Amino acid sequence: MPLWVASVQPLLIAAVLLWAGVGKLAGRQSADAARRSALAQLLGPERAVPAYTLVGFVEVALGAALALPPAPRAEAAVAAALHVGFLAYLGYAKVAAPESSCGCLSAQRAPVRWRGFARAGLLLLAALAALTTTEFWLAAATEHPLAATVLLLAEAAAVVALSAELDGYWLVPLRRLKVRLTHPLPTGSFEVPIASTVEQLHRSGVYRRIADLIESDVREHWDEGEWRIVCFTARYQGRVGSAVFAVPRLSYQPGAVRVAIVDEETREVLLSLNPIPDPVAEAGWPVPAPA
Amino acid sequence: MDTPMDRRRMLSAAALGTTAALVGATAFGSLAPEAAFAATGPAAGPATAPDLDAPDPNFAEGRITGIAGTTLLVTGSDKTLWRIRVTNGSSIWKLRPTTFDRIAVGDGLYARGARLADGSLAADSIWVNIVNLQVHIAAIGRNVVHFDHKGRRIVGHVVPGTSAAVYNSTPAIGDLSLLKVGAHIQVLGAWLPDTNEIEIATVYAAA
Repeated sequence: MPLWVASVQPLLIAAVLLWAGVGKLAGRQSADAARRSALAQLLGPERAVPAYTLVGFVEVALGAALALPPAPRAEAAVAAALHVGFLAYLGYAKVAAPESSCGCLSAQRAPVRWRGFARAGLLLLAALAALTTTEFWLAAATEHPLAATVLLLAEAAAVVALSAELDGYWLVPLRRLKVRLTHPLPTGSFEVPIASTVEQLHRSGVYRRIADLIESDVREHWDEGEWRIVCFTARYQGRVGSAVFAVPRLSYQPGAVRVAIVDEETREVLLSLNPIPDPVAEAGWPVPAPA
Repeated sequence: MDTPMDRRRMLSAAALGTTAALVGATAFGSLAPEAAFAATGPAAGPATAPDLDAPDPNFAEGRITGIAGTTLLVTGSDKTLWRIRVTNGSSIWKLRPTTFDRIAVGDGLYARGARLADGSLAADSIWVNIVNLQVHIAAIGRNVVHFDHKGRRIVGHVVPGTSAAVYNSTPAIGDLSLLKVGAHIQVLGAWLPDTNEIEIATVYAAA
């Protein structure tokens, strides 16, 4: 590994630590983030917020020290130790409170997953590399401006890619764009789903009138021209039969729903209801009123 | 013996009032609520207060460990052993209303019915592998929606012709293309046993 590669690592670590620390100290929701994090489990909810703030101070101080000259090995050693600590914390969180947020980089909720470990591991490697040199990053970067910029950008991109907190800024828009370009889901046929028919049935006066008699969920259904026939099991006057509903298939007319309860053995119609108009249901689909 | 087509034709005709079927004593016209209540079978039992903390004796859940004839042998998640009798009158849901032969050993189920004297449950309704989840949409692929459920990944398969979407509480439609990556949705579906995959029945989303 060329020396300049090791020398510029403190800048990467400093950038990440400053970002994390400033977020912890100045973020408007940082107190909530602290209570959601595994710190609340580790130290108790009342100590989580001060501990979170303390970590923020340490991160800002170390980040500033790394970013400013000189560059003694001690800074890199402290950074390495801090990241070993972060890894231990992530391991604890994964075991003790797997659904809690990591609370690492922002108040954005991000459960502890492999990406969190990979990010901390990457920064630990950077800190270990920085241990091998005492050259200040600015000197190395001026010596190899192009290579250093490319390397740091690549490393920063890796940190961003490993940060679940930042998915909303790049991954979600990217996936939305892919969906917009490829149209992967069915855009629908003119087929009316059975769920829609059953909902219309539930809003019909006929169904409400005899709902007490119905014992089963939808048993079977088929289409009969303009109608969809939906069968349930019903009990009427002590006899078990099929409640056969005819529901308009292509239109919303709950008032037109008809029903017969049929004993299938004897082919006897036990009960037959004419459509029951229901002005409220027919007025249209109720729109939820704003609270 | 009727063919299935004859049977369906007869039932359709009865519902649409174009029937040639026999018409029983109670027919046509409105049914007063009192009549409906009077018609609900056996008279109410002794007026004792129900024990609200007791498990519902008419409800069962668990995994199917065996199928004997038309009886399902089911082990509940609390290790209760159930015998669930399926009849012609039982409704069976497995992604869609379906038939007994689609039930397999290993499926999970919820069943509601009436307890018989021998301890078995005569099922009125059975819902096989049904799941009801609140999730985020993590990604969308060709007829596949990847869900994030409390940080865990669930793969939802879209079944064209069956999967439906309810947008803003309006009637269900077959068009799922308004689903957005990142959106919070509720999804009803059928679990594929021992996987993290489901087939989507209905999604409830904002659009």
